[in-house]
Amino acid sequence: MEVTLKIFRYNPESGKKPHYEKYTVEAEPTDRVLDLLEYIKGNFDGTLSFRRSCAHGICGSDAMRINGQNRLACKLLVKDLHGAQITVEPILGLRVIKDLIVDMEPFFENYRSVLPYLINDEPAPKKERLQSPEERERFDDTTKCILCACCTTSCPSFWVNEKYVGPAAIVTAHRFIFDSRDRGAAERLKILSGQFGVYRCHTIFNCTTACPREIEVTQAIGEVKKAIGTGSLE
Amino acid sequence: MALKRNVGLKGIKYRGGGPMLAWALHRISGLAIVLFVGLHVISSFFMQQLGSDIATALNTVYESIYFQFIVIFIVLFHALNGLRVIILDLWPQLIKFQREATWLQWLIFIPTYGMTVTIMILNQLQGG
Repeated sequence: MEVTLKIFRYNPESGKKPHYEKYTVEAEPTDRVLDLLEYIKGNFDGTLSFRRSCAHGICGSDAMRINGQNRLACKLLVKDLHGAQITVEPILGLRVIKDLIVDMEPFFENYRSVLPYLINDEPAPKKERLQSPEERERFDDTTKCILCACCTTSCPSFWVNEKYVGPAAIVTAHRFIFDSRDRGAAERLKILSGQFGVYRCHTIFNCTTACPREIEVTQAIGEVKKAIGTGSLE
Repeated sequence: MALKRNVGLKGIKYRGGGPMLAWALHRISGLAIVLFVGLHVISSFFMQQLGSDIATALNTVYESIYFQFIVIFIVLFHALNGLRVIILDLWPQLIKFQREATWLQWLIFIPTYGMTVTIMILNQLQGG
């Protein structure tokens, strides 16, 4: 089948304004959007720039807006787009550096602000910090995050203000807040109850829809909101 | 140099589907309610203080049945959607049923709005 890709292009060195360019390629229905981008870069225009690494939905490098929705280019098949034209644009709310590459620093700054690591100053046991299967299950969903930024850059609250920590950072905070081995919940909840914390979430669900790992992002945010409101992790 | 951060209209074009549409309508209906209440306050002020033609003109606008149809739609949607979001925020374990919650919202909205509009039309026909 023949597919036309309409791709957002911007090269700061060319002096040209951002624009769209169209490329028509032969594709199999089972090809991924990333395969088509690689083909265009290899055969039509070597200057086309985008991030990719593992190409298997694990590294989270190739988040982009495909047909108006945040997706991972390596996980999206041509047949699932149901059309002969595919529009590819950079994710929203972050500065575009070149073509489909955005400046991820504000995203990672928000991520770092929620202390994304285990906090426990108690003396370590001889073997390991034991945890029951039920305790592990409590935060299982939020361990799946790959920091692709699909959720955060689909959130209208983040579009309005990049200081809002955003869904990805809250998901990471959730992963540690509800971990029975962690002792930093109070500190994280204090950070998240601030001006740019969880209360900027208006339960819009764009994050849940956009997540390529199918994390129940809105539910995780809701649980953090409840923990702040009740002061309890139950 | 990197492009400046600029979402603007691109955000409106984002394909968030039904939940994003509900969120946008909630904001729009909220603004519309402020506008309606503002109009009511201004009209009352003019009527009490000046008894002017402006008050009569404003009253004619917001008391017209067509305007009332819109007002009821906006208020009812805003109330039910707000209630849905409050319930989901208070009981996050229900968030996995958000699709069903949206259906329930419309299931309550459609007969309630339909019944109200029918009564209004019947009253109007009877010259009430």
